Amino acid sequence: MSKIGVFICHCGENISATVDCEKVAAEAGKMDGVEFATDYKYMCSDPGQTLIKNAIKEKGLTGVVVGACSPRMHEPTFRKACAEAGLNPYLCEMSNLREHCSWVHEKNEQTTEKAIDLVKMLVEKVKKNKPLNAIKVPITKKALVIGGGIAGIQAALDIANAGQQVIMVEKEPSIGGHMSQLSETFPTLDCSQCILTPRMVEVAQHPNITLYTYAELEHLDGFIGNFKATIRLKAKSVDYKLCTGCGLCTTKCPSKKIPSEFNEGLGMRTAIYTPFPQAVPNKPVIDRANCTYYQKGKCKVCEKVCPTGAIQYDLPDQFITEDIGAVVIATGFNVLKTDFFPEYGYGKYADVLTGLQFERLASASGPTLGEIRRPSDGKVPKKIVFIACSGSRDPAKGIPYCSKICCMYTAKHAMLYQHKVHDGESYVFYMDIRAGGKNYEEFVRRAIEDDGVNYIRGRVARIYEKDGKYIVKGADTLLGSKPVEIEADMVVLATAGVSNPGAEELAQKMHVSYDAYKFFAEAHPKLKPVETNTAGIFLCGACQAPKDIPETVGMASGAAAKVIGLFSNSELTREPLIAVVNRSAPPVFSTCVGCFMCQTACPYNAIEREEIKGRDGSVIKTVAKVNPGLCQGCGTCVAFCRSKAIDMQGFSNEQMFAEVMALLNE
Amino acid sequence: MEELRKKAAELLQSGEVQMVIGYEEGTRHPRPCFISSADDAAKLIYDDRCTGNLAVYLTHKELIGGQKIAITASYFALRSILRLLTEHQIQLDKLVVLTVSAEKEVIQFATTDDITAYLQTAPVPAREDDKALIEKLNAMSPAERWEFWSAELSKCFKCYACRAACPMCYCTKCIVEENRPQWIQPWASTLANIEWHINRAMHMTGRCADCGACGAACPLGLPIHLLSHQIVQEVTDNFALDVNQAVSGDNALSTFKPEDKENFIR
Repeated sequence: MSKIGVFICHCGENISATVDCEKVAAEAGKMDGVEFATDYKYMCSDPGQTLIKNAIKEKGLTGVVVGACSPRMHEPTFRKACAEAGLNPYLCEMSNLREHCSWVHEKNEQTTEKAIDLVKMLVEKVKKNKPLNAIKVPITKKALVIGGGIAGIQAALDIANAGQQVIMVEKEPSIGGHMSQLSETFPTLDCSQCILTPRMVEVAQHPNITLYTYAELEHLDGFIGNFKATIRLKAKSVDYKLCTGCGLCTTKCPSKKIPSEFNEGLGMRTAIYTPFPQAVPNKPVIDRANCTYYQKGKCKVCEKVCPTGAIQYDLPDQFITEDIGAVVIATGFNVLKTDFFPEYGYGKYADVLTGLQFERLASASGPTLGEIRRPSDGKVPKKIVFIACSGSRDPAKGIPYCSKICCMYTAKHAMLYQHKVHDGESYVFYMDIRAGGKNYEEFVRRAIEDDGVNYIRGRVARIYEKDGKYIVKGADTLLGSKPVEIEADMVVLATAGVSNPGAEELAQKMHVSYDAYKFFAEAHPKLKPVETNTAGIFLCGACQAPKDIPETVGMASGAAAKVIGLFSNSELTREPLIAVVNRSAPPVFSTCVGCFMCQTACPYNAIEREEIKGRDGSVIKTVAKVNPGLCQGCGTCVAFCRSKAIDMQGFSNEQMFAEVMALLNE
Repeated sequence: MEELRKKAAELLQSGEVQMVIGYEEGTRHPRPCFISSADDAAKLIYDDRCTGNLAVYLTHKELIGGQKIAITASYFALRSILRLLTEHQIQLDKLVVLTVSAEKEVIQFATTDDITAYLQTAPVPAREDDKALIEKLNAMSPAERWEFWSAELSKCFKCYACRAACPMCYCTKCIVEENRPQWIQPWASTLANIEWHINRAMHMTGRCADCGACGAACPLGLPIHLLSHQIVQEVTDNFALDVNQAVSGDNALSTFKPEDKENFIR
């Protein structure tokens, strides 16, 4: 016979303001199998927990129902309290009287009635609960970091410095990401490469980091602590063991007119190339799509000039498989190109640039060696217009969100321009100035007050070309929407930060959720910002949403801390709330008929085949088996199983049925 | 017919198979027969009256044992065989699949793709008897349809002949035998009967070959095969699932395909 204890929490006034908690406890006391029922102001408090513990010991309770908040909040608290009193923690259930009742209803009779029903359901459920034990899963202590930008670099270094192994995968020939393209960084104007390149070198030299550049994740199987990653090493066509990085091939390559990705198309590169001088590794790859040899069958100039014979044209893509315990996604973001904007010339005006292109113009390693010159004619622009929120915060363009970094980098761009072109005039069209951050507001004020940048609050409706000038037509909304027309030599659009192409595909490969804009989704917007919904996969940086460098670095260290925390144990403890395939005595063995429809339904690839063998080793039956490490307890397989051979521990069909019947059988 | 008998005798004689499942003449209709010796091959018949779905016997372990068997499969039985292969219930290396084409030619299939190809070209046997009732049902309002089915299913006394006749009802333990919890009330009453038949239709979703064996098996002649027939229509329309597909592991309700129309998700 069950001896259930019911504990009703007032949650201060959160529950008791609309629910008559004393009445709920009194009614619960009358329910079949309830041995003890009481109410208390704060059940989660120390005295509240002691109340539960004492009742378990004194009354010999076989199950506990706590009527309080959502189990997402305090279920661990109460389960732990039960365990301390000697009751299996999974014999404790929570009835959600706050989120499901008191917060959503008015104070009246029915609200209390509903609370009683909610308790009754859980009382019926807990009677069918079985003691469960936590699951232990071994952990492979090696992390996979996807992306070699500042986020990936920071995460990899933090994990590696904690003594754990890291594999970094970068799809470009060099690590560094967008930060390596930047000129100076706000709010201190220190040179981006000067602060980044030491980190890049540290990654390359770190004994705990294995770096794979020009590589992409092909597959990810497995589960937290036990992933198996298949990595595609794209053919570099250069044997890195022989290559000394002398760069002779890149100077002799006859295909010299390929727009450089690193310079955002403002400079040219060769078909065999290293993206930039400080590249890590500083060895070239052949871009096969643009190489004369691969396209036309002859050339081989690089092979002829290479002093070490490192060029190998017929190297295929290679695949390697690594055992991984955790994954950090740090794939970063991108910015919209100017061709996205019909009103700003569809990208056909040579001197209408994106912010990232302006970074290259302002950078000492850029195509103009840091001088601000027009890409069209090489002249120094005397009047320049910056347009913030190009695409961002514009639902009509499908980008209702704020790209966050543009206000700051636009101020920086205008400031850099004023520092480099002393007689120049700069204008910034903006919607609002969002400069939240340490020293950020001061930075923007400095641009306006010290460097004389003209800020105009308003949107630019149109840009068109006239006599070598760009006519920027906008309105100043602070002057009653007075029309403004500026004859600019150059226009810089702070185009919206968007997710990387391929982000969706990558998310699907890893079973990680993503938002409507293909940014990876965090597990909880406040309390789990670096976790994904898939255990063991973490994220950091701008692949989650546009963010600046300090925030990215902070998030990367956060993700790294999670990985290090995971790796600090040799085994992983998991909740046993997973699906299991039933077993019974011979000759049935299991009511599973082995149709494996569950396998196709499982979103986590958690269902395996198990052969039941006789004493002579012959296969009697092939049935489904749930991998306890992979199963997330979603229950899809349970719904799918026609013969109900799969059931959820802790949420069994019988328990759910009892809950529903408790409501129906008045 | 002679060709089929010769083929069956050959298969048994050579020892390639130990049993042939086919049709023989019955008292009123052709009935299934299970032949283990070449001498009995003369009993075999195959014509338009042979509509029972013999694939139902393929999952009967007590009948098949470890033997390799041959089956003379009707159009719908071929569909069922593909589905049973998808669901890992039978193995093609333990099976010789035969059929008799419209041109009275005996065909032995080597691969599942051959079966798929045959199904896609061969004419779908029409069941003229159902046409009038299907039209009538489609013309009904949901309330009228509920009335109709409630009246029909109230007669059911749960003999489960429909289940026994269905090749896809091969579970060791059926949902109706499950009693912890008791999903379906075991007695025969209108509601309990509706529970069973709706459950059966749901369990057939994306799996039913639309052979009509359930309806044919019903001793009361209830048109229960039209429930699963309707489900086949729904699945074909909404999930891009082809009942004639080869073994692919596709399941209407669990596998996503870009071709899925999703027009019911709004």
